[in-house]
Amino acid sequence: MKVPYNWLRQYVEIDLSPEELAERLTMSGIEVGDVSTFAPLGERVVTGVIETLQPHPRAAGLQMARVHAGNGYFEVACGAWNIKEGDAVALALPDARLPDGSVVLEKEIKGTLSQGMLLSARELALEVAQEEEGVLVLNERHPPGTPLSEALFLNQPVLELELTPNRADCLGLLGVAREVAALTGGRCSPPTVELVESGTSVEQKAGVEILDPELCPRYTARMVEGVQVKSSPLNLQLKLLSAGIRPINNIVDVTNYVMWETGHPMHAFDYDKLNEGRIIVRRAREGETLLTLDGVERVLDPEVLVIADAAEPVGLGGVMGGEHTEITAATRRVLLEAACFHPANIRRTARRLNLPSEASQRFEKGVDPEGVILSQDRAAELIQKLSGGEVLEGILDNHPSPYIPPVIHLEAETVHKVLGYRVEEAEMVSILEGLGLKVKEAEAEENRRRRVFAVEVPSHRRDLFQDVDLVEEVARVQGYHHIPSTLPQGVITSGRRSRRQQVLQRAREILTACGLHEIITFSFINPRFFDLMQLAEGDGRRRAVALQNPITEDQGVMRTTLVPGALQVMQHNMNRRVDDQQIFELGEVFMPGAEDEKLPHEREMICMAVTGRATATFWGEPPRQVDFYYLKGILQALLGGLGIGYELEEPREDEFPYLHPTRCGRISIKGNPAGVIGSLHPSVAEEMELRGEVLLAELEMEPILEEAALDPSYRELPRFPAVLRDAAFIIPAEVRASEMLAAIGECGGELLEEATLFDVYLGEQIPEGHKSLAFSMVFRHREKTLTDEEVDRIQNKLEEEMYRRFGAVLRKL
Amino acid sequence: MDLGIVEVQQSFEEEVCQAGDAEELEKIRVRYLGKKGKITALMRRLGQVPPEQRPAIGKMLNRLKEHAEEVLASRLEELKSRLSEERKEKERLDITLPGRPFQIGRIHPITLILEEIEDIFVSMGFQVAEGPDVELDYYNFEALNIPRDHPARDMQDSFYIDGEVLLRTHTSPVQVRTMESMAPELPVRIIAPGKVYRRDDDVTHSPMFHQVEGLAVDRHITMGDLKGTLLLFSREMFGREREIRLRPSFFPFTEPSAEVDISCIICDGSGCRVCSETGWLEILGAGMVHPQVLEMSGYDPREVTGYAFGMGVERIAMLKYGIDDIRLFYTNDLRMLK
Repeated sequence: MKVPYNWLRQYVEIDLSPEELAERLTMSGIEVGDVSTFAPLGERVVTGVIETLQPHPRAAGLQMARVHAGNGYFEVACGAWNIKEGDAVALALPDARLPDGSVVLEKEIKGTLSQGMLLSARELALEVAQEEEGVLVLNERHPPGTPLSEALFLNQPVLELELTPNRADCLGLLGVAREVAALTGGRCSPPTVELVESGTSVEQKAGVEILDPELCPRYTARMVEGVQVKSSPLNLQLKLLSAGIRPINNIVDVTNYVMWETGHPMHAFDYDKLNEGRIIVRRAREGETLLTLDGVERVLDPEVLVIADAAEPVGLGGVMGGEHTEITAATRRVLLEAACFHPANIRRTARRLNLPSEASQRFEKGVDPEGVILSQDRAAELIQKLSGGEVLEGILDNHPSPYIPPVIHLEAETVHKVLGYRVEEAEMVSILEGLGLKVKEAEAEENRRRRVFAVEVPSHRRDLFQDVDLVEEVARVQGYHHIPSTLPQGVITSGRRSRRQQVLQRAREILTACGLHEIITFSFINPRFFDLMQLAEGDGRRRAVALQNPITEDQGVMRTTLVPGALQVMQHNMNRRVDDQQIFELGEVFMPGAEDEKLPHEREMICMAVTGRATATFWGEPPRQVDFYYLKGILQALLGGLGIGYELEEPREDEFPYLHPTRCGRISIKGNPAGVIGSLHPSVAEEMELRGEVLLAELEMEPILEEAALDPSYRELPRFPAVLRDAAFIIPAEVRASEMLAAIGECGGELLEEATLFDVYLGEQIPEGHKSLAFSMVFRHREKTLTDEEVDRIQNKLEEEMYRRFGAVLRKL
Repeated sequence: MDLGIVEVQQSFEEEVCQAGDAEELEKIRVRYLGKKGKITALMRRLGQVPPEQRPAIGKMLNRLKEHAEEVLASRLEELKSRLSEERKEKERLDITLPGRPFQIGRIHPITLILEEIEDIFVSMGFQVAEGPDVELDYYNFEALNIPRDHPARDMQDSFYIDGEVLLRTHTSPVQVRTMESMAPELPVRIIAPGKVYRRDDDVTHSPMFHQVEGLAVDRHITMGDLKGTLLLFSREMFGREREIRLRPSFFPFTEPSAEVDISCIICDGSGCRVCSETGWLEILGAGMVHPQVLEMSGYDPREVTGYAFGMGVERIAMLKYGIDDIRLFYTNDLRMLK
């Protein structure tokens, strides 16, 4: 909402500078976003009066004007013909800078010196409506030589209000003036209307009927006959321009002017285009159409409230008028509308038809139902003044449910209870009254024990419903700087993070210690990724929750896996020549709920992805590329660090189609599937233009949260020495290391403290189709020192068992 | 009678001084104290000394022997603690060569800020609560006093799943969920960090971003308590010298409502580009929990009051790290993350 400073001052005395006013308003909740200058213009453009006008001696298309500009006379060549002697005009003196940046120079035109330039509205960057193009002729007298900016208030500051939706009352200058008066203790004076009505009653010419009082609680109409439609006087046009409104003609301009003044949108119909001169406010019929003022043919339905005449819709109530009944140069009789509409319905209509307008903006926030009469009278008065019409007697006022001001009971103590400081009762009352509220002592019964006030809310402040609303009014008018800084009293609570948050934090610590960088990606992804990941048609991960109104298809569905996000980040970085990447994300995926559940299930996941070199360049050794076992090592560190055991199993063929079929494993915790680790399928990598092997792991947090041990446990240190043994076996290549380790564990029994695989060897000395695995074992008895013989017995048993199970042969090292 | 004791002692000491390692020292020991050693030989010649001089000379010889042993022992210690020249040269390193690189991963800047905010409030006795990202319209709007077709919905353009379900546009629904589950228990002191979503995408808006919500409900909570809590928070977060100011504003779920500014962290309030010459930076919205919200969530607004606040994490991160494009947080450029 633009508030031209000088225009505002018409309604309230202001002792503050525009900047001070902006600050004061902002600090009371009417935020001023910006203070700008209406139409900045330098001092060298002044008002002048044309003394004489003569043809240019040598140029046929020009005339020479002798212009009086206060301190002297200037001879100016001019190509426009809309001026005559005695006209007041805008004169650019030599060296004047115009709004487009150009500078006016004294120059000779066909042998005659031109000492400046007479300016048109366009040259002044003022979009005024004019009957004739040409030099801007001023309609008010100013002493010649007055800077034009002063005469026309072009340099006046304009405050841009950024209003919160509750303060619809400040969508009119009178509302702002009322607010300013309350803040500064000044007086707000609404315009006084001087209206002369003719003898004919409006009721003889027009009728108003409301068929849907819920959507239209009040509709008023006035009529003006015999108007002459033309452009408005310059000063009115400039006022509208300063508020950011384009002038059109003297009728439409008046409705806009009154809207800016009172905050109440108005509409003017060409009465002679209304069938039977009747207004019927009703819901549209299915399929009815209306050509709106913006030239678009709209197809309507019963959700839309229309203003109709006896035959058809002539306007979208509160949103936009129809083209057929609009004011034209031929209009002689005007029917003026000032009404109230149902805010939610207006909002829905404006949104559905994508037609936000100054009017709909006001109606959807709620206008003052009592303000319509003032607006009607004011508009009729101005139209009469500007277009010479005759105002018919009376107002058609269809008002099914008149406004009854609500009364709020406010306990003086409540102000203290909410704000934390005491406000003098007298001060409180004076603030509320300053805002136009009526304050009385409440009835004796309620008032017996505590001081209670009964506060009547005027129709222009329909954002006030209950006592805390009044508390806020008191606080904001006083200024929030009165509020003290205290801390909550009462019992002490222990602040802490939940176990879930603690586990996540620990996981983050471990993964960063492993060199992984945390990423955060959007929760929505492009569903195309499911194809890219080669997920089967019926794969559950394709059943993603879709957004109804995404900004782009790239953010079309809620992710069911973190993999696409990680791959996208890898791609982004690879495109920027970052080939070595180690990343992880902790985030939710969204799985659709069951039939009867409205919300999806949100599951916390961890995704890790690595590619390129594992280590930065080091002079001491060649760089190591990451591989499956690198990521598996990180997985071990993560789960191990959280005290969780896990197993890796061969996945089903179609389980992870985006991973390398023989380089991936399903992670399970306590026998339940908990994730996957593997190498990205080369064809997916190619599609994503990812060079080199990419290793991925994705894990469910749920089992981790359940199993994680955050507190370390203590185990007594051993008191007896251990016996260490190494053994290498030659076995068929297909035997799994895990099977061997399991067998060693079984044979070793209680005495085997630890068995570690320390070497895998293929090559010389190993027969084709075989490999050698070497283990180191630690044996220990809790209560005594083990003898070699005891350990030998175990080892012999182990060797036999290995042979029996796997055909393993002990390899001599 | 002169046995040449002084000469022996002199030569012994010279040799010990020149000895370069333990091996040489051992040779010296043998040469002087061994069976055929010079000092041993002197001792043997004691018999030839006239009897009246024998005690004095004998004493001298004993002292010499003891002295020699002590010198050898201490010299050996000394030599042991030093490396040989040869070894020193052989094992010399160029200590200016770069060390072996260890890579420590970085935590995402948004997580860092979130944790910092959480830590501050946890230390003030707040618990950390959470709620779903995909939320019911009821919790996101209606229970927060924002009915359908309320103009306040324009303040937050939402992503919808269907008519009833949307991506939460703020963390405020966690207020309602927490109160619902806790009522009538008191006091409530929680913060709720999390992702939120709005249909906006430009330099200062991301369709997904993070907020931290705060809520305190108890019997005597005032707006002064809100101000005090936020002042404390601002000083912990942005430095001891921060000031805050509250400006009246409007949120349907708080009354009175306020926008909260901190004195600019760049210019300390004197005015600069970052604060648009105002000296203040808007960092959060706050207010006293609306009685209707308390009531809908199961608390009696005549008995209890509460305050609530919500802040944008990206905004704070941008201020703290001097980042001017919010989208940078989500492209996850490793050059930036590192």
